[in-house]
Amino acid sequence: MIAPALILFTLFLVYPVIYSLGFSFTKFQGFGSPEFIGLQNYISLGQDPFFWRALQNTVIILIVSIVLLVPGSFALALLLRRKVPGGGALRALVFGPAIIAPILVGLIWVFILDPKIGLLNRLLGFVGVAPVQWIGGDTLTPYAVALVFIWGSIGFAMTIFYAGRQVLPEDVMEASELDGATGFQQLRYVTIPMMRETFAIVTILMITSVFKIFELVYMLTGGGPVHRSETLVSYMYFTTFTNQKYGLGMALAVIITVLGAVVSVAYLALSRERKTA
Amino acid sequence: MSFSITTAGRARRLAAAALVTAAAMGSLVGCSSSSSASDGPTTISLSMQNPDVKTADPATWAIIQAFEKANPNVKVEVTGEAVAEHLQKLSIAAQSDTLPDVFWVYKSNAEDMLKGGKLMNLSPVLSELGLSDKFPKSTVSNFTSGDAIYGVPYQGLLTGLWYNKKILQDNGLQVPVTFDDLLAVAKKLKEKGITTISNGANQSAFSVWSFLTDLDRFGYADKIDGILNSTGSFNNADFLRLYQHIAELRDAGAFASNVSTQTYQQAVDQFTSGKAAMLDAGVWGSSAIQKSSVAGNVGFWAGPQFKDGVGNQNIIMNVASAPLVVSAKVSKDNAKLAAVKKFIAFYYGDEAQQMLVDNGQPPVTTYKPKVDPSSQSALRAALDAASAPGVSSPESQPDLLVSTPVANAMYDSIYGVIQNQLTPQQAVDLVQAAVQSK
Repeated sequence: MIAPALILFTLFLVYPVIYSLGFSFTKFQGFGSPEFIGLQNYISLGQDPFFWRALQNTVIILIVSIVLLVPGSFALALLLRRKVPGGGALRALVFGPAIIAPILVGLIWVFILDPKIGLLNRLLGFVGVAPVQWIGGDTLTPYAVALVFIWGSIGFAMTIFYAGRQVLPEDVMEASELDGATGFQQLRYVTIPMMRETFAIVTILMITSVFKIFELVYMLTGGGPVHRSETLVSYMYFTTFTNQKYGLGMALAVIITVLGAVVSVAYLALSRERKTA
Repeated sequence: MSFSITTAGRARRLAAAALVTAAAMGSLVGCSSSSSASDGPTTISLSMQNPDVKTADPATWAIIQAFEKANPNVKVEVTGEAVAEHLQKLSIAAQSDTLPDVFWVYKSNAEDMLKGGKLMNLSPVLSELGLSDKFPKSTVSNFTSGDAIYGVPYQGLLTGLWYNKKILQDNGLQVPVTFDDLLAVAKKLKEKGITTISNGANQSAFSVWSFLTDLDRFGYADKIDGILNSTGSFNNADFLRLYQHIAELRDAGAFASNVSTQTYQQAVDQFTSGKAAMLDAGVWGSSAIQKSSVAGNVGFWAGPQFKDGVGNQNIIMNVASAPLVVSAKVSKDNAKLAAVKKFIAFYYGDEAQQMLVDNGQPPVTTYKPKVDPSSQSALRAALDAASAPGVSSPESQPDLLVSTPVANAMYDSIYGVIQNQLTPQQAVDLVQAAVQSK
């Protein structure tokens, strides 16, 4: 019975991955025949400073996002779960950015973060703060991308936490209250442990999302200046399609896939270890 | 037993379904191939590097409309994507032998395709149509490989710096001639908070046309063969001096502070709204400039002459852009071949060349266009600059003589210095590394 699903999965997922892996060992510029060059593409990437910069930026975005996004969205979910007037509207408002296409999110934030015409620097200018190069410089851009990513994703993560919290058995909560647990103790010893799976899902989703960030960078800076703000995926796009180095681009794609899988599996393993401990 | 019978039955059903699907697809393919062979109109496909040819490339669109009107038995099916997607599509099509009949492609890609037997040699067609002598010699030699002419010019590439006469006059400045003049202009305008040269690196790293011409003012044409065959290097004293001059311009405040995040279109808007004294662009910008409030005050400058440059300094970049090429498959289909010949004859005829001019493009043949001095004042200024006494043009724009990765490294090197991310030495090293990276 699983044959049709297996065929589709093989056709649309496994085959492209294997195909890309094969191409990553070739020199291919789009036209003509691919030439087998062994590990040369991987060696070239190791010597490419722009690749290391893209990796560094991706790691910065990953750390900032996970550190702020997971607890932030969880806190929002708890906050918006309370019965307050207009709670539903507030939840919809927070979820709003999640339904905006990332390319538009990038466009919106260009007009906020641009060092010359951006809203933020104009507002800061009113209180005498000198213009800050939020994007387009070589220091703050990955942090700015992370914050924009958080803005776009927090509603989605919050919704998962909200749903996860809703299905927790209320009798357990009541029992802990009867036992005299404070709000913080209930959160620390009941809610969070019972939502461990939800935390894992959100974290894994955010890790994989960070490894796919492309449109935000494309709109905010185009990867510049001189590839200083590239993420792994935006640099892969540049390498493959703009520079027409398909073999090298596929090597980058393989690295991104492996890194994403390793980080996700490592987190899951860590998470399971804590559960069994 | 029953399990195996069921499985065999399923396999037969699957096989039958696959056959039916294949037959249906075969009939569809048969329909599409027979359409060009039937007595109805012949369709030729034209694939371009613009997502919306009608609005983004009105000159080509106008030519196609006029061609179809003049040739009711030929239909031109136009498609287009942004450059990267367009090239990706061509790459896939080249592998599956489904290239469009006529398409835009970079010169370096076209040469690869020619080697792979994917392109038609247009030499006999151009001779038959009497077009060989209608193109400048440099255009033909640019698109020739061995004995084959693999491409015809899509549009002209007349590039330089548009300037706002009023901004210069209001600040007591003359149109610069030399690099020192330009530097003085930048310093003066910086004091007034005005951007001297408007350009934008975001999603448009290629928008460094005037600096590419400057490379030719430092001997690029004579050096490039040596650089590519490893007897020379991009990291040479002449090019290094040019990059040092770009750094001097940057330090003088010539560029917008948001050059990193600004797109080319925003740079154009900055100029057409009177907020920048110059715009690094080409003749294609004339339409937007003509429609703007600065139209009556605009001139076109070939770029600065350098006292420490190499060779002729009085040059302007007036060359053919990337070519239009024809798929080799067209030569095997008589109806298509005849239709493509008609299209080429029309495209490079005087009527179509005037349409190019009417849509803000210079002609690509030797045709002398009619330009209205008032409603096309911007275009007139560019064409006048190109035909000024004593001015000559290189044979090709520097980035069109190298592979795509090297061209991209050139753009990065120039913007890297403009954005103060690379020193001049790092900039030339970056390009040399791309040259060496085979």
